[in-house]
Amino acid sequence: MQASRRSFLMGAAALSAAVAAPETVRAMAAMQASADWALATADLEADVAPRAMRLVHGRAPAGLTGTLFRNGPGKFRRPGGSATHWFDGDGLMRAFRVNGGQVTLDARFADTPKRRFESEIGAVVTPGFGTPGDARARIGSNDDASAANTAVMLAGDEVWALWEGGSPLAMAASDLSTKRFVTLRDDLKGMPFQAHPRYDPDGTIWNIGLNGGQAVVWRLNADRSLNAAQVIDLPRASYMHDFTATGRHLILVLQPWVFDHRGMPYASQFAWKPELGTQILVIDKADLSRRRLFDLPAFSYFHLGDAWEDASGTIRFDVAAGKDVAFAIDGARVLVEQRGSVPGEHAVLKLVTLHTDGRAEMASSGVTAEFPKSDPRRAGLPRRLTVHVAGERPDRPLPTGLATWDWNSGRSDSFSFGDSQIMEEAVIVPRGPDETDAWLVAPSINLREGVTELHAFDAARVSDGPVASWRADVALPAGFHGIWAG
Amino acid sequence: MIALAAALLLLTAPGPDDASVVLTFETGARTGSVMVALYDSEADYEGGAAVAQAMVPASGPVVARFENLPAGDYAVKAFHDVDGDGQMDTNPFGLPTEPYAFSNNAVGNMGPARWDRARFPVSGETAQTIVIR
Repeated sequence: MQASRRSFLMGAAALSAAVAAPETVRAMAAMQASADWALATADLEADVAPRAMRLVHGRAPAGLTGTLFRNGPGKFRRPGGSATHWFDGDGLMRAFRVNGGQVTLDARFADTPKRRFESEIGAVVTPGFGTPGDARARIGSNDDASAANTAVMLAGDEVWALWEGGSPLAMAASDLSTKRFVTLRDDLKGMPFQAHPRYDPDGTIWNIGLNGGQAVVWRLNADRSLNAAQVIDLPRASYMHDFTATGRHLILVLQPWVFDHRGMPYASQFAWKPELGTQILVIDKADLSRRRLFDLPAFSYFHLGDAWEDASGTIRFDVAAGKDVAFAIDGARVLVEQRGSVPGEHAVLKLVTLHTDGRAEMASSGVTAEFPKSDPRRAGLPRRLTVHVAGERPDRPLPTGLATWDWNSGRSDSFSFGDSQIMEEAVIVPRGPDETDAWLVAPSINLREGVTELHAFDAARVSDGPVASWRADVALPAGFHGIWAG
Repeated sequence: MIALAAALLLLTAPGPDDASVVLTFETGARTGSVMVALYDSEADYEGGAAVAQAMVPASGPVVARFENLPAGDYAVKAFHDVDGDGQMDTNPFGLPTEPYAFSNNAVGNMGPARWDRARFPVSGETAQTIVIR
């Protein structure tokens, strides 16, 4: 019995060697063990009730009090069908509440129509950015397809979970319970409100929403009521995840990833045409019909830094610039597969300068960077410092550390946890007048311990490593974007 | 006995045109009217004429009643004309801003619910409650 079984297995092995066609190899790769970074896209099965995080390193910074709200996908897979792209998991809002040196963590899923329906039928069927979806989808409006998973803005006693193609979703700041989709004015119901609003020093908030070759430009008052919404025509129907602004201008970066044909998933509609170059559209905030267009060689991007303008009118902003859209299409899909190598080159921090004579130029810092952020008090104003996650390598698809880049000195101040941690986006919490008088607060996933941590860095000495680290007893999947409520 | 049963069946069986549809709408706002269109075939539902229509003020109970219908399959499209301008208002990108709904509370897939999701069999008096908000 034993002998015949062995001979059968030997025969099977010989057979598999004879038919190791590429598709067989791919199928075998799918059976390989998960990558060591797989926690980044693991499924969280339920909300996380408030729990204490334990100080495991350093001392809690005196005076650091507030809440880091963060959003990001928390569940991808269901028995009858799954999200196949990193951008399409169900939105999970997290709150790291820091008070008197103590930190608590709670997290709740955005209770969207998509999540309700897909929970009921046990299958992800709704098309998304990179997930095709199927005929079972129930989509009567943009908001029915919302994963509410991308970013978050503060709104009084609420936080608004932001997505790209629909309305903000209001959640209670106190317990993260879902309230409603936000309609800023009845006649604007369901208009897209993207994930990266920009803030003026007086509290005015700007945002955009896209529809092919048109954009709605949102202008909100500091109290989050609507000031104005205006539809503008764009020079090209480019995919834009972000935009930026100076005190006087809105800046839309039109990468050559342009609408090509209707279809789903959403990203499949766009074609990468590097021969078109990248255009920069500069729009006067006071009169949206006053605009200038600049040309640069092609680059791709998801995230821009805050822009600023000098006395001469020269505009500068930084961008986590990529070479193409391989990560957006394929890389983010492999991340959800949790195994294999992730295609696409990592973004590099670059500075775009728009001269008053119509010339545009681009300079590279040379550092690998994503999620560029800067001092919120200087949004739209001159600054030198950019905070970003760092440490992605060809064999390491997600960040391992945090850094600042100083555009004046050309100096990088960087810290790496090594491969044992996945670093997430940092927020800047000012504590003094200079840009470096600030705490950088960011979570990570400690892969060795299998849990989420929260870290506070001194922006003046990032390379010293965190001044304090707290550890949760649970691992949350990697988030996208957060905001600090002081 | 069999003859008696057959006689009773004859007495109670519906005639050709005595089915009815009673639709109760649960609205969000109490202003304007709910506009209702009833269809009796896939072809008409997907782009032809309604077999019957109703306009029901949203101030009181919102009930649309369609009588004297032949038994068969039907489907309903409705929208709540909240501001009473007779139009289904849309946002600047052309998507509806006033509530709309279909029979069976069906939801479409990036468009109106199709006939296969919205159709329902009608015989005798058939009632549905449709949430429209």
